[in-house]
Formats: sequence, C-alpha cells, structure tokens
Amino acid sequence: MALSEPVLVKRIPTPPWGDPADRKYVGYDHFTATGGYAGLKKSLGMAPKAVVDVVKDAELRGRGGAGFPAGMKWSFLPPEDGGRRFLTVNADESEPGTFKDRLLLDFDPHLLLEGIAISMHACRLDTAYIYIRGEYHHQAKTLQKAIDEAYAHKIFGPDSILGLINNFWPQCYVHRGAGAYICGEETGLLESLEGKRGWPRIKPPFPAVAGAFARPTIINNVETLAMVGPIMERGAAWFKSMGKGRSEGVPPTAPASFGPKLFGVSGHVQRPGVYEEELGIKLSTLIDKYCGGMRPGSKFKAAIPGGISMGVLGPDQWDAELDFDIGKKYSCLGLGTAGVIVMDQHTDMVAVARNIARFFAHESCGQCTPCREGTGWMYKILSRIEAGGGTLDDLDLLLELSGSMGALPGTTICGLADGANWAVRTILNKFWAEFEARVSQRRSKVSLAAAGGR
Amino acid sequence: MPSITIDGRQCNYEGKKMILQVAQENGVEIPHYCYHPGLSIVASCRICLAEVAQPNPRNGNKLELIPKLMPTCQTPVADGMVVYTRSPKAIANQKAVMEYLLINHPLDCPVCDQAGECHLQDYSYKYGRAESRFVDDKIKQPKKDIGPHVLLYADRCIMCSRCVRFTKEVSGTAELGVFGRGNREQIDVFPGRPLNNELSGNVVDICPVGALLDKDFLFTQRVWFLKATPSIDGVTASGDHIRIDHNDGLVYRIKPRTNADGNKWWISDEIRYGWKFVHAQERLRVPQRQQLGGMVECDWKTAYREALAGLRKAVKEKGPGSLAVMVSPMLASEEAYLLGKAVRALDEQAILAVGPVPVVGEDKTFPGGYTIYAEKSPNARGVRQALELVGGGAESVLDFPVFIKSLEDKQSKTAAMILTGGYPTPAGESKELVKAVGKRFMVTLDVLPNALASKANVLLPGATWVEKSGSFVNVKGKTQGFMQAIGVLEGARTEGQIALDLLAEMGASEPERYDVATVRERMGGMWVSGVAMPSAAESAVRAEMSYVEL
Repeated sequence: MALSEPVLVKRIPTPPWGDPADRKYVGYDHFTATGGYAGLKKSLGMAPKAVVDVVKDAELRGRGGAGFPAGMKWSFLPPEDGGRRFLTVNADESEPGTFKDRLLLDFDPHLLLEGIAISMHACRLDTAYIYIRGEYHHQAKTLQKAIDEAYAHKIFGPDSILGLINNFWPQCYVHRGAGAYICGEETGLLESLEGKRGWPRIKPPFPAVAGAFARPTIINNVETLAMVGPIMERGAAWFKSMGKGRSEGVPPTAPASFGPKLFGVSGHVQRPGVYEEELGIKLSTLIDKYCGGMRPGSKFKAAIPGGISMGVLGPDQWDAELDFDIGKKYSCLGLGTAGVIVMDQHTDMVAVARNIARFFAHESCGQCTPCREGTGWMYKILSRIEAGGGTLDDLDLLLELSGSMGALPGTTICGLADGANWAVRTILNKFWAEFEARVSQRRSKVSLAAAGGR
Repeated sequence: MPSITIDGRQCNYEGKKMILQVAQENGVEIPHYCYHPGLSIVASCRICLAEVAQPNPRNGNKLELIPKLMPTCQTPVADGMVVYTRSPKAIANQKAVMEYLLINHPLDCPVCDQAGECHLQDYSYKYGRAESRFVDDKIKQPKKDIGPHVLLYADRCIMCSRCVRFTKEVSGTAELGVFGRGNREQIDVFPGRPLNNELSGNVVDICPVGALLDKDFLFTQRVWFLKATPSIDGVTASGDHIRIDHNDGLVYRIKPRTNADGNKWWISDEIRYGWKFVHAQERLRVPQRQQLGGMVECDWKTAYREALAGLRKAVKEKGPGSLAVMVSPMLASEEAYLLGKAVRALDEQAILAVGPVPVVGEDKTFPGGYTIYAEKSPNARGVRQALELVGGGAESVLDFPVFIKSLEDKQSKTAAMILTGGYPTPAGESKELVKAVGKRFMVTLDVLPNALASKANVLLPGATWVEKSGSFVNVKGKTQGFMQAIGVLEGARTEGQIALDLLAEMGASEPERYDVATVRERMGGMWVSGVAMPSAAESAVRAEMSYVEL
C-alpha cells in the first residue's frame, strides 16, 4: 500500500517524486496550467447541495486534529436566511510538531484558495477569513500574494465567477494571529477573529449555527480545504480508493480513514520533513521509506503520532498504523495533525513530559479552573521530578490530575487540558519504570541530551 | 408545572432557565463562583458541575445519564431532568476544583477583609479537602491600586471574571480586563485608565473572594462583628435597597440588597459612600439658642420652651397664618406628618412647605439598566404626601420656590417658622432661603452646621436616616420603609421625636416616643399597610451568603 501519485504535493517537489530543492512558489498561471481550479470550475456547474454531497460521499475527515467529517460539518449549516455566512480557515497550526500546512501555504496557496472557493459556493458563504498563525510572517505574505492573484482572476471580489452569495461578492481575507496556541481551537479562533481575547466558547451553540460575529460559520483546516479541490475534480470514488478505509467490524456509518494525508516528521530521523502518504501507513514505513530511517546509532524509543497533545507511542509500537483509528489501537488520543515526532533511545522521557507540561501550562488560556491551575501544577511536579525531588506519590498524583481535568471528563470548556492529560498520562504509563527510577533513585539511567535542550 | 429533581428534591420552574437558577429558586445549594444572576454566563469556574440524566424522547423518554459532567449554570433545564450534585463524580470534581483554586491562593485569611463572607472559605469547608497536596512554590501576584475606591490583591483572585463582566455589561465602561495567560493571568486596568466609574464599588460586592477590596472598608472591621440592617438609600431619590453594616453604633459600610424591581444587585458609589456625614465630627450634638447675639448651648427643655415661646408670640401678635413649617426632603414621611401636626396645633392656618430638593446634573442610565438619579434627596414625594395629609389637599402644601416667593412677598404674614435641613452636602443649603427668612423667628432642625443653622433662634440637633425608622417615597413613587440601624447620636434627637416633644410641651398631647407604626396608624390609608418593608429573610441573612453548618 502506497500512494501512486502525489495529490496535495503535486506541484511541490517532495520525495519520492521530486527534490525539495526544486520547490518554488506556484503562481496562478502555473497552478491553472497544471490543472488547478478545474475542481472549482466543475463545482460551479453543479448545484451547491450536490457539491456538499460529493464531499460527504468522499468521507473527507478534517485534517486539523479532531478528524470530524467535513461534509457532515457543512451540512450542519442552517438554511439560508438572507444574512451573512462565513468561512473561517484554520491556519493557526500551533500544535507542536506540526508543520504540514506551512508547506501548502509556502508553495501552493492556490490549492487552499480553490478549496475555499468551492466551499463558499457549496455552503453559500460570502466571506472567507484565513486565520493564520502570527509566527507565519512569510506564509502570510505568500498567501496574500496568491489572494491578490485570485482577485485579479475573479475568483473572489466584484464580478467573481462564484457570483453573488447572500447578495455579497465573495471576499477572502488573511487575518494574522498573535501567537496563542488556544486560538487554534475553533471557538477560541473565532473570539480572536472578532478582536476579543481568545477564550474558547461554550458549545452549544456550535459555530455552524452561531460562529463568527454570531452568524453561521464553517471552520476548516487548511489541509482539509486543500483536499476539496482534487476531490471535486476527480470524484469521491477516486478519493476513497486511497487510504486504509473502514476498519473491519465497524458499522458503515462510522467515520473511516480515506485518502492521502500529509505527515510532518521531525525528531531523530535522517530526513525530517513533510511527506504525503495514504492514511494507514505504518510508522516504520514512514520513517524507513521516506525519512531515510533513524539517525545513525539511534534506536526507536517513542514517537508522538500527531502533535504533542495526542500522547506517545511506546517502543513496542514501531509498526503502528497511522490512521484515524490509532487512538483505540495504540492507547493514545488520536492521529491529531499527523505531526510525527520521533525519539530515540537517548531521550529522557521525564524531560519530554516536563517539556510538554510546560507548553500546556504556558498556553492554557486560563479560563477554566482545572486547566489553568492543573497544567501549571503538573509542570511544577514534573520539574521537581526531573530535578530529582520527586516521590512515588507525585507519580500517583500526576496520574490522578491527568485523569480528572479536561473536556472528556467534562471539567473544562475546550480540549486543551485533555492534550496535556493524554501526553503526560501516556508517557507515564508507557515509561513508568523510567519515572519510578527517577523518583526512587533520584537519578536517570538515560542521558539528558534530548528534550528541552538539557 | 414542569419540574426537575435535584439531589432527590423536586424543583418546579417556569420558562427557559438553567439548572443552577432553578436550584437557587428552590433553595437547593449548588456551589458556584463565576455565575452571577446579573451577568452573562461563562461557565469557567467549573465547581457547579453535576451529573445530569435527562429523558430521551427518541428512547421512550427513558432517563439517560449524560456521560460528561455538566455545568449546571449553563445547562438548560428540561422537564423530568434528574441532577446529582452529590454523586461521587460530582463530589470528586468539587474537591478537585477547590484544591486547584487554593494552589496559588495565599491563604492569608487572617489579614483578609473578605474572611467570614468568603466563598472560598465556605466552599472549602463544605466541598473542599482538608489538606492540599501542593508542595511547590506558589505564584506571587502583586497588589494593585486600580481605582479611587478599589484595591486589587491579585494573588487572592480566582479568575471568575465577574468584575470584568460587570464593567463590560453593567457599567459599560470596560476598565477591567484579563491580562496574561494560564495560572499567571491577572485582572488589571489599562495604563492610565483607572476603575473610576460611578458604579465601581459593586465589583467588590460581586468578588467571591478577597481579591477586590473596598479602600473605605479596608482593615476597619472583621465582618463577623457586623450587624446588618436592611435599609433604603437615604442620599438620593433612587429608593435603592441597601444594607447597613454596623457595629457598636458605628456604620462601617453600605452594601446593596437584592431588589428585583429596582436596583437589582447594584448601587452607585454615591450611595455606597454617602453615609460619611452620619459620623462627621461637626455633627450638631446639643440644642442651641440665640442669646445676646450669639449661639449658646442649652438643654432640650430650655430649647423647647424658647422655641414654643417664639412661635406662640408670633401667633399672638399676627394671628392665624403667621407660622410656617418647611420639611426637608431628607426626612421620613412620618416625621413630616408629625412636624406638620405640631405646627398646625399652634396655628391652624400655618404654611406647610417642602424644603429645597437638590438636583445635580441629569439622570444617568447605564447599559446594565442601573440609573443614577439627579435628584439628591430621598423623600421629596413622601414629605409632600404627608404634609398634604395634614393640610388636606395638594394646594395646601407649597413647593420650595413658591414658599420662598411667599416669604419675599411684602404682604407676607409669616412671622415665625420651623425649618428642617439634614442635607449631607452643602447642596441642600439655600442662600435665597437665608435671605428670604430675614429676621423672622426661626426654629431650625439640622444635623450639620451651616449658614441657616447659625442664624437660627433655636437650633435643635436632628438625626440622619440610619439613626431612625421611617419611610421614603422614591422617584418612581414607591413607598418603602426602612429601619433604624444605629442609635441616635448622643445629644441629638430624631425630627419625629422633636415634633412629638413639641406637641407634648405645648400640652396638645401626652409625651410619647417616636414609633413609626403608631404614626403610620395615625396617618391611616396606605400608610398602614402599603409601605413596602424588607422581608424577614432579608433582615436575617446576609446577601448571597449562607452560614456553614459545622
């Protein structure tokens, strides 16, 4: 099982189909000359509802982390009432270890714009806001350049080929974030977009009903929307011919893993980078075939499958299949953004846990008590354990904390605390001996070379 | 009527409500910090979470337990819902939240003003755990002076964001904001933009912990020594419901009392801090009389005799209609009635007049619906109503400008009068009145020295509204009773008592004590039953607080 041709990286030279050294910005002319905007043209010939149905048929799942079926999300919109409806593109990509959207924004932003235009047509959305991570200075400029080209060629703006939507000519704006992890959470993003403090909202109402500026809003990840163009061009069946598909024994209504996916691999491998593969590829294949294997002298110890909030895969999970079902099979939270962080035998897992806890303590928005205080507490305990001041009780306390706070037990509004929980809990469970050694003997048998630069 | 069950108790409700609201209405306690009935719902403190089971219409209305804990402040009720706030899962969460909240809390209760009326303390006893497992260093946050009335002790803050929402939604001024992130975030103001709106004191009331403190009350009294007396705003015409907290004859602070039809949960700073004149050094404490061109202190008996002599002399010389009484709108309706009666007992045609009604600026309504009234006296309408009762009809009572004109008139028969003041500020002093009175015989009842008082032939020290009972009619025409909070300043007497004493001194009635119930009965009509009094519960329980049963 392997991807036969590049889909998302069609115009971005990526191994094994091209050399990353040849990458350059794909302008409007290059994009259309290589079949770009064909999916949009085809969609414009169809009724909006039919376009939604195609995306639904394709069972395209959100690529931003939660894996919610995009077509289903689109169909949650209330019927048109003549008022404005918005599209918000989540380009906040702030999950540590994730850098897949950056590749698209850097080199092929028109692929995203095509997806935006299609979804605006399909869902009758008149304005698109691309909420881009504040740190993506260059990407914001590239994106703006592509948007200007799109306006010039009447994808957006007055006399757009999309026609009037809700009595407005479709518009597309770039909105830059200010560097907060929580603004990648969809409702935190909306608050930030409205100019408020990025505190996630209580749901319901869901954004499809009352989102940006209290109007119906669709929020999709960059990669999800980038996938829409190719799907419209080549059909749902083509899309479903890729990927692991539906696991055995699950009902046909259960969401499945279809299509290609960008994997951003970093850590102790020979060639870190973004690679495109089918969903369901084995971690070992991804590392050996695409990344040139582990670094010389390195032995696989652990990997984070999709951004640090998803928890870790242990040493015995080298062959884990990277698809949306990964969570149940390998006891971690899920595939997330497929930003894979690979760690070798020199990695101190206590330091890893401490570093992850530090991130979440720093990024907790401070709205809900359990997350605000709990993440900070976890960080303090882990710092103490790493420094040699921990006791066995601390490990039990860590497990208790990481089980009692978060949206899944229902004690917080958003899922940030769950990210911290799963990361700390899975590391603790899968590397218990290492922690135990640290608290009882007060020294580690592994070097402190990795994680946090210590 | 639809109903839900909370911890085994059936709670009826009407309309669209949240579980927590229904619980409060039915007297079931669910712990909460961020929820406040007057503010938007943020569901961020997470202590009100409970397990909720609701009937599923797609499953034959069978009760189904929602797998997650639900925030009761933000979960709408549905008929037949069953809520468990004391289930093991809910209790575990309450304990966890309490432990989290106290991680970075300094636990400096011994020096904290909030101690004794602190939600953190109460819930800690009721829902918390005895010991914290937190052994690392606490985060230290600064103490900040954020406005003319308010101090912020940031490390006591639990980030419920009530104060931030208050300045956004009720005062509409948005001075306060949340700054920073995670456990280091703080409430603060923007540089150069202090919390100085006219409602700023309310943030202290809604702060569930000791983070926002009233500079005026800071370190003055432990709250468990305070006795609370329900009362009515006595410095403006709002009729806002207030609570006077006092101890040992001294007022320490004034707090709003929940009043659904009026001020809701709020009062303006003007009302909150407007009681200072009650304990002013310069309060009049002894009767005085004019002697040899100067004011000389004397005892009450002499003062009454002197006053009556002067008044009687005027009637004798000039006949009926030579007396006048001007009742200040600072006085209670019952007192106005008695003063009117006293003067009419000497002279059946005496002029009845309402004193000057101070007006400052214009009425100002805030986005949250609270209004500050320009009229700065509590009872202009009530005094008029009571005097009309004495005089018989609206024409029998003169408004202040008409009264001045009648005095300035060359034909004026008025030769002697009783004047009342009681204003907390010089706004009530009227220069034209001093001029219009001229050399007439004047008995003045006042609380603070002023130009008029210094010219009086007999000056009798009166009392402020916190020292007496009575009723005020507010700007909307609502008659509301209030109770005496502290004893009358030694040496002074309430204006009602002075009127009764004068009546007794002139022999018109037996000596008696000023008692509002008796006076109201004499006044008759709506005064007997139509005066809105604070409920027994309000007189007994502190706003929003409950005592911990140990």
